[in-house]
Amino acid sequence: MLLYLVWLLPLIGAVVLWAFGPQLKSWAGPVGSALVGVSFAATLVLWNEATAPHGLHVGLVSWLAGWDFGLQLDRLSLIWTLVITGVGFLIHVYSIGYMHGDRAFARFFAYMNFFVFAMLTLVLSDNVVGLLVGWGLVGLASYFLIGFWFYKPTAVSAARKAFVMNVVGDVAILFSIFLIVSRIGAIGYDRIFAQTPPPAFGAHELFLICLGLFIGCAAKSAQVPLHTWLPDAMEGPTPVSALIHAATMVTAGVYLIARFAPLWSASPDAQELTGVIGALTAISGAILGCAQWDIKRILAYSTMSQIGYMIMGVGVGAYGSGVFHFLTHAFFKAQLFLGAGIVIHALADEQDVRRMGGLRKMLPFAFVAMLTGVLAICGVPGFSGFFSKDAVVYGALETGHPWLYAIGVITAGITAYYMFRLLFVTFFGAYRGNVDPSDLGIRHPELAGTAATSSSSGHHPEEEEPHRHARSWLMSGPVAVLILPTIFIGWLDAGGNAPWKRYFEGFFPPAHAFAANGAYVPPISETLSTALVFAVVVAGFAVAYLRYGASPALRDAIARLRTETVRMPGVLANAYYFDAAYEALFVRPAYALGRWFYRVADPHGIDAGVREVAVSAQWLGHLFRSFQTGLVRAYALTIAVGVVCFVAYYAFAFTGAAR
Amino acid sequence: MIAFWILALLMIASAVFTVTAKQPVHSVVGLLVNFIALAATYLTLQAEFLAVMQIVVYSGAILILFVFVIALLSSGTKPFNVGPDRAPRILIPAVIAAVLALAGITVAALRTPVTVVQATSTNGTTGDANAFGSVANFGAALFTTHLLPFEITAFILMVSVIGVVLIAGDEGPAGLSRRKPKRNIQREPILK
Amino acid sequence: MTVAPENYVALSAVLFFIGVVGVIARRNPLIMLMSIELLFNASNLALVTYARAWVNNVGHIFAFLVITVAAAEAAIALAIVVVTFRSRRFVDVDEVSALKG
Repeated sequence: MLLYLVWLLPLIGAVVLWAFGPQLKSWAGPVGSALVGVSFAATLVLWNEATAPHGLHVGLVSWLAGWDFGLQLDRLSLIWTLVITGVGFLIHVYSIGYMHGDRAFARFFAYMNFFVFAMLTLVLSDNVVGLLVGWGLVGLASYFLIGFWFYKPTAVSAARKAFVMNVVGDVAILFSIFLIVSRIGAIGYDRIFAQTPPPAFGAHELFLICLGLFIGCAAKSAQVPLHTWLPDAMEGPTPVSALIHAATMVTAGVYLIARFAPLWSASPDAQELTGVIGALTAISGAILGCAQWDIKRILAYSTMSQIGYMIMGVGVGAYGSGVFHFLTHAFFKAQLFLGAGIVIHALADEQDVRRMGGLRKMLPFAFVAMLTGVLAICGVPGFSGFFSKDAVVYGALETGHPWLYAIGVITAGITAYYMFRLLFVTFFGAYRGNVDPSDLGIRHPELAGTAATSSSSGHHPEEEEPHRHARSWLMSGPVAVLILPTIFIGWLDAGGNAPWKRYFEGFFPPAHAFAANGAYVPPISETLSTALVFAVVVAGFAVAYLRYGASPALRDAIARLRTETVRMPGVLANAYYFDAAYEALFVRPAYALGRWFYRVADPHGIDAGVREVAVSAQWLGHLFRSFQTGLVRAYALTIAVGVVCFVAYYAFAFTGAAR
Repeated sequence: MIAFWILALLMIASAVFTVTAKQPVHSVVGLLVNFIALAATYLTLQAEFLAVMQIVVYSGAILILFVFVIALLSSGTKPFNVGPDRAPRILIPAVIAAVLALAGITVAALRTPVTVVQATSTNGTTGDANAFGSVANFGAALFTTHLLPFEITAFILMVSVIGVVLIAGDEGPAGLSRRKPKRNIQREPILK
Repeated sequence: MTVAPENYVALSAVLFFIGVVGVIARRNPLIMLMSIELLFNASNLALVTYARAWVNNVGHIFAFLVITVAAAEAAIALAIVVVTFRSRRFVDVDEVSALKG
């Protein structure tokens, strides 16, 4: 029963806030936060039941045979539920401060609660259809929240882009579900995974199912080549970016693969594909992160890169490690975003790191928060990212993918580089907010990758001089709370008999159900691998320090930033031209098709058909009109002709018939 | 037999005269001859009652109606047939169609041999109900077996009388004037 | 019945032919109407002929009905002619073409 409460409280919140938002006024935020908090507490209460061997299972509706809808809280969905409600609660509290004064305060919290409900539907559902419903609903919530400031055209187009690309994935998942239902005849996980590997599928079918599911993951979790919506999604409010586009929704793909682990373990092709795409996403996102100037976009690309790690981890069969990286990432990435939110809020919606600098002294708390987040994401020993990232990277090696391992290690170095670059440029040196933007190489804000350089586009249209206004405890409190797990949660996986390893004991199938290549012996031990990764990270840090953090670099930071901006390779500044490629491949042909229909098919095909029908009716009318001469004698003639026909019929057809 | 051929020739000649006459009055005379000859032909076919009806209704009523109309229309006006012929060559297809119809009817009639049944009484007496073609025989059939068509015909006649009054009468129903006062020509009303 | 019914039918057909030509060729409505009467009579002749041949007085009945309906038709048609003449001042069916499409 408590599970229903966990699931429905955010929905109730969404409905209440949506319906009575104007009446609740500033109470909307606390009400929305409290409901999510209660949900979190209820989930904690359910801990023991959820960690039981088969988890907690409650039914909802039985429709047809095999079509039972219900809720399921097992060890996997417990992790997600805790993060969704827990981190979600903190971000809700943070939003009370961040969104204070916005004219659509209640609407924001209604959407946020709705998102939490949708995400819980996704992870708590015990069947694939419920999963897809949640999958679509989170896409919808994401659409609402990216386009929350709907008076910004960029936000609207970003929301539309995110929604469309997500729907591509939804459709792919739908086809996978068709395949599953056609073979299994049921939608429940318990039926689908009754036998491992499922004997109902052939190898090709299995791969097709995994492919469809993975396309869904790629769209939702911003994997190459369906990632382009995620950087644009940063048009939404920063708490939205933290909750949806960093901590929870974008990791739904990781959940999906972990949930369908038996299928993945049974399909080496799917594992190969997923691992390669994940690694590709990790490294390409990291490289793009080096080329961005918008603080939220840097974090967005780092999110993409980190999700690439997770996908790679669960894809190659290191399910526990991938999920663990999700857990740690949820905390440190939420913290990074919330810290960035404090900075953005304090600087009146300035997001371009080139116009920051020296904020270490002005915003010491934000600096500490960002610093711990950066250390965690880079994998500095002792911080959470250290444990999870090493586990994922080494997992790739363990399951027999040395190339993916190599990419993972290199990506770790690049990650260190761009995260410290962000840190140095933002918090060290001198404040550059009063420098003429053109001196920093900012000629065209949209070309330079900064979408929100205009302060009027934010949510404080009434405040003229909001610079560095004091942050409230509502914003710093959640960040302070998040610092603890950011640092310490990694220790759950420390050592050979760590709690985390015991937690998922016997839950996931072995990495290779068919064990084709037998026992693969990794060439280097885990300790050596850890040392190697750390060495690469240090190298990345060193490069970043030399370029941005050393004192000569800090002295002429303005000139250096200008040079870097001007000399930025076009391929990086334009994110590998993915958007341009989509423009050329899909948008332009679609427009061309539309134009063709508009100019050719419609007027010359459809309209012409209609017109021809009309014209032929007119022509027939003219024809018949010519018979209507008005001359009585002509009418008489036609009658006479009729008589002739009639007589001819009797003369020839009825010969001898009478008497 | 000789009577038939004489009558046939007479009918054809009068019919041709009717159709070709310049003056409608002449046509009426030709038609009158035709009708009388037809009545005689009916007699040879043992249709005494129809022969009488032919003379009474056609010659006596319909043709007199024609004569009245002709008299009415020609009083003080020009002869007919004014105005251009708007279908000058219509005679050609008309003749072709009529010839075809003629040929068709002839062919149909010749190819369906008719076995002539001998009537019960070749010299039917009008009072004998069993004699074919007698008034008694005809009347019995008309008022028993074919009563419904007879009644319907009566109804049609009534409708036509009403229609004629409405069409040609000076005034429409409920005393409304059916014509513009300006065009009121000094002439006696047709029906009073 | 000394003369074969085919002869009567042929006579009827000839009369019909003359009537058809009259209806189509003449422009005087009165003569057209008279031609139509000729048509009626031609068909009546055929009806009576077969009635005699088969000794069946249904043909007579039908011919009688034709005569009555012809009377009604003649009355209405002549009324129309009179009305038309009143409004048009002359009688020519070619001029009465208000129904031209």
